Amino acid sequence: MKKPTTLRTMLTLTGYRRNVFLISTAFWLLLHSTPVLFGIFDRALFDSLAEGPEGGGVNPFLILLLMGLLDTGRIGLLAGGVITWSRYFIGAHLLIRRNLLGWLLTAKGARRLNGSPSEVVTRFRDDVDDVGNYLDSFADFPGFALFAVLALVVMLGVDVQMTVLIMAPLGLSVLLARVLQPLIRATRRRLREATTEVTGFIGELMGAVQAIKIAGATEGAMRHFDGLGEVRRRAALKDSLLTESFRSVSDNMVAVSTAIMLFLAADRMREGVFTVGDMALFMSYLPYLTGIMTFIGNMLVEHRRAGVAFERLDGVAVDAPPLELVRNRDLQLDGPLPDIVNGMPERVPLQRLDVRGLGYTFPDGTEAISDVSFTLPRGTLTVVTGRVGSGKSTMLRALLGLLPQTTGEVLWNLQPISDRSTFLVPPNAAYTAQVPRLFSDSLRENLVLGRTLGRGALDRAIDTAVMRHDIERLEEGLDTGVGNRGVKLSGGQIQRSAAARMFVGDAELLVFDDLSSALDAQTEAELWRALQQEDPGRTYLVVSHRPVLLERADQVLVMEAGRILT
Amino acid sequence: MTGNIPGTNRARQNILDHGTAHPLRLTVTLALLLSSVGLQLFVPQLLRDFIDSAMGGQSGAYLRGIALTFLLAAIGRQLLAAAATYGSADLGWRVTNRVRSALARHVFGLDLEFHKSTTPGNLIERIDGDLTALGNFMSQFAVRVFGGVLLLAGVLVLLWQVSPVFGAGLLAFTGLEFAIIMLTRKRAVPATMQERESSAELFGFIEERLAGLDDIRANGGGNHSLWSFNAVMRRYWRTSLNAWMQRLTVWLSSYGVYVLGFVGTTFVMILMVRSGAITVGTGFMIFQYLYILQNQIEIITNHMQDVQKAAAGLTRVRQLMEETSGLAEPGTDTLPAGPLALELDGVTFRYPARGDLPERVTLSDVSLRLRPGEVLGLLGRTGSGKTTVTRLLFRFYDPVRGQIRLGGMPLQELSAEGLASGVGLVTQDVQLFQASVRDNLTFFDSGRATDGELEDLIQRIGLGGWLRGLPDGLETRIGAGGSNLSAGEAQLLALARVFLKDPGLVILDEPTSRLDPHTEELLQLALDRLLHNRTAIIIAHRLETVRKADQILVLDDGRVAELGDREALARDPASRYARLLAAAGADTSLDELLQDGGAT
Repeated sequence: MKKPTTLRTMLTLTGYRRNVFLISTAFWLLLHSTPVLFGIFDRALFDSLAEGPEGGGVNPFLILLLMGLLDTGRIGLLAGGVITWSRYFIGAHLLIRRNLLGWLLTAKGARRLNGSPSEVVTRFRDDVDDVGNYLDSFADFPGFALFAVLALVVMLGVDVQMTVLIMAPLGLSVLLARVLQPLIRATRRRLREATTEVTGFIGELMGAVQAIKIAGATEGAMRHFDGLGEVRRRAALKDSLLTESFRSVSDNMVAVSTAIMLFLAADRMREGVFTVGDMALFMSYLPYLTGIMTFIGNMLVEHRRAGVAFERLDGVAVDAPPLELVRNRDLQLDGPLPDIVNGMPERVPLQRLDVRGLGYTFPDGTEAISDVSFTLPRGTLTVVTGRVGSGKSTMLRALLGLLPQTTGEVLWNLQPISDRSTFLVPPNAAYTAQVPRLFSDSLRENLVLGRTLGRGALDRAIDTAVMRHDIERLEEGLDTGVGNRGVKLSGGQIQRSAAARMFVGDAELLVFDDLSSALDAQTEAELWRALQQEDPGRTYLVVSHRPVLLERADQVLVMEAGRILT
Repeated sequence: MTGNIPGTNRARQNILDHGTAHPLRLTVTLALLLSSVGLQLFVPQLLRDFIDSAMGGQSGAYLRGIALTFLLAAIGRQLLAAAATYGSADLGWRVTNRVRSALARHVFGLDLEFHKSTTPGNLIERIDGDLTALGNFMSQFAVRVFGGVLLLAGVLVLLWQVSPVFGAGLLAFTGLEFAIIMLTRKRAVPATMQERESSAELFGFIEERLAGLDDIRANGGGNHSLWSFNAVMRRYWRTSLNAWMQRLTVWLSSYGVYVLGFVGTTFVMILMVRSGAITVGTGFMIFQYLYILQNQIEIITNHMQDVQKAAAGLTRVRQLMEETSGLAEPGTDTLPAGPLALELDGVTFRYPARGDLPERVTLSDVSLRLRPGEVLGLLGRTGSGKTTVTRLLFRFYDPVRGQIRLGGMPLQELSAEGLASGVGLVTQDVQLFQASVRDNLTFFDSGRATDGELEDLIQRIGLGGWLRGLPDGLETRIGAGGSNLSAGEAQLLALARVFLKDPGLVILDEPTSRLDPHTEELLQLALDRLLHNRTAIIIAHRLETVRKADQILVLDDGRVAELGDREALARDPASRYARLLAAAGADTSLDELLQDGGAT
């Protein structure tokens, strides 16, 4: 299917709270086009003043009254516009972010971030902001377009030759602007890259504070940071220079247009063909018309940037269907809190798991694992062991569908699993990574993850993971907030929490990537005993080096250089 | 590590001090600005002349002369304004870069408790987001708003010349307008601050979940995360709307006042033209000046949003600068080379209360003496205070009572680099960067070691083969991408980092617990080499690991339960250590042994 155009994507985006968008655009339409009347009033006013009180023209005070009323009305339009627009605008930003986050968190198929978390956050923030800028223009465009048309009609009605000659420089400024645009794009891109370098580095710095301080590397790191700042400064200045040139081009053209008008008016006014009022009208419209030219030029730039932004956002979402990111959805921002949607798959009791020819290659081309095949019968413990770098963790992740573009297949009870990433989750399978992550919620929320549990399931999981003691020592027990990335807990506590989180799901297959560092051998033995007692039918696939575990295992797989040694 | 690093005293300077660092640039920019303003004020006078002359029957040539003058003045004005903008943008970036640097250093120097309570995403938003808002404000402030103020003043003076009625009236009107703007703006700043805060919260949330994407997906926790996100979105929604409405109040009130001013001025103008007091051309000129006035007020008002955002940013930056570390200033001494002696004298420590964490006593009256080159085995259950001792040694915290001396020197007297270069730490948690191997080893400081030294080091660690297998050698990027590094390899690399600085005291905090037996062997060999002729503290999970220690320290609930020469303790059947050895197999849990084996 052809990729949707930027325009189509934007129009789909306006479908979010469409009524609000349309009403708001109506307000802006009126607000932006009513200045046409100001020009007409200005002309009437000055012609009246030039003719003098005996002239018998329209009463200037009456004209002033009308202008006052028009202004008052426009205040109302402004209020209406902003009140409606803000609701649409903020919501649209949230919509894209929510859609992208939702896709990453819950969509089928393996997900791999195409950059560090802080880089991807930049997509969420800056690229969505770019789309927002274009949205602004979308709402303004109808009003400006209407103004331009009406104003030109009026001006042509006064003097065709003059209008054409005055508009010529403005047309020229559009051409000049288009020449500058590719340059501006390039510098903008460089500025954005320099900014990403800076923010990315801050993220890294702050994520590794301890390590850097301990190594006494603070000065070096800071100097590197300053260097990145310099690079950005220079990129920002180039950007500023080009932007200012761009801006001054259009303003200079206004001056040229006005000068042309004065030249031509010199004779016409002496002949009485062109009045002071006409001059007032033209001078009233010129700035607006230039502004609109600039606006259209900007809008084209914003259009392109929004296109780039959409491409980048799609790059994060990878295999999302077209227009997924701008798909309308009720964000449930008002009213009662939404319920948690529990998307757990159906439990299919495991009789046997077959892995056939599993393979994965890194994006840079190096092979991680290849041709991995084995069988896990129900109720057995299989231990995977091997040297550092032999591919054990990668194999587990590939099996669970956490890695994209793997080769081979996995069969559950001899049926191939079509999408491992959504099937091999609780209650079918559960996983604890080698370096597990917790989130800045309460401990309870981290363990439960919003799942509906049987009675006592949480308590059992805590006991099995040998966490009872730890929880008693936390000042608010399970409700204690664990801090960013679980930083308020010790390393061992984080691992045991991850284990408890895994147990809570009561899954058919438990996959552990090396629990050893969280537990000493004695406690680990206790854990296994408890697990066996709880459900002898459960199947385990574990990476470990503990002799105790290797002894217990029904099957040991040794990996070396990405393959299983037979 | 010390709470303050060299140069952070500079960080406490006012931001304005940073602003006056470039006097020449500032002066030139101001001069350009003034010239530009002058020309803009001149232009309407030309128009008056044109109209009156045209109505008065002046020659076409004369009028065309005015048109030409007009053209030159208008274009000249634009060029000057553009130059002024460039100058101020340059100033703006230089100044905010300086502040950004100072802020980063300051934040970096804050204590551990601070860094536990904020996400990196949040910090990015505050350090960069706020300062960029501030920078944009400063880039445009001088020319747009300051220029606007000058123009306003100029217009008022010129209109006063026409008639004091105009002058006085418009002065009052302008004053009223700005008073209203100031009032409404003040009310809007807290709202904008909250808007930025909830924005930072939003992105902090996203970043945290992205970092744990696998964990969430593999445990089917996606929907729960989205549900939590809903709460974050709601806060963002509410605060953003509120901020918008506050800003709307500003716009509406200033537009309203403008309308009053416009109607009033035009009324008087009409009267005066009709009575012959002023010419039509003058009336037209007044109209033009009024237009400039309206424009400038609009521009200033539009940038009020930036002013608000910048003020909010400034406040948040100041708040961040004012976060104090719980630690005193570092000293200036350095440590001698070679293995260091370590002394703890009656060290007592409690984690400081911060936010919702209350004080907890973790160490009470701990004393020990390690001679240079000696190895101490530190045993204790989880939570007995072992890791706390480590943190005190790195001055992440200061003891509440007692003193720590390294190489005979109290820690407080050591400079930050001095302390950092003297003590090395090997843990199971490895923090690597999204950067090249070289940058990871040298922490972005290429002066630390030559490529040859790095390669040699990697070979000695046992990663020689791994390095040769990398596509770009030392340049290869590693880190969060994770493709070319397993946990064990990462551990070895972190060990290499410690080797690089040749510390006199090494602390090993269960570094082998994540490794398979083969790699553990490799690491053990490397460690044995590392420990040769160095003082060391080994925090152990297994008795096997402290088999070679010279002294043994057993911590129980923050107190010294037993301390002494290892062999002597092993021979004494009444000692805790001897009883542990008796009860244990090589692989047994210390936690369990100490739980029920420890005699009280």
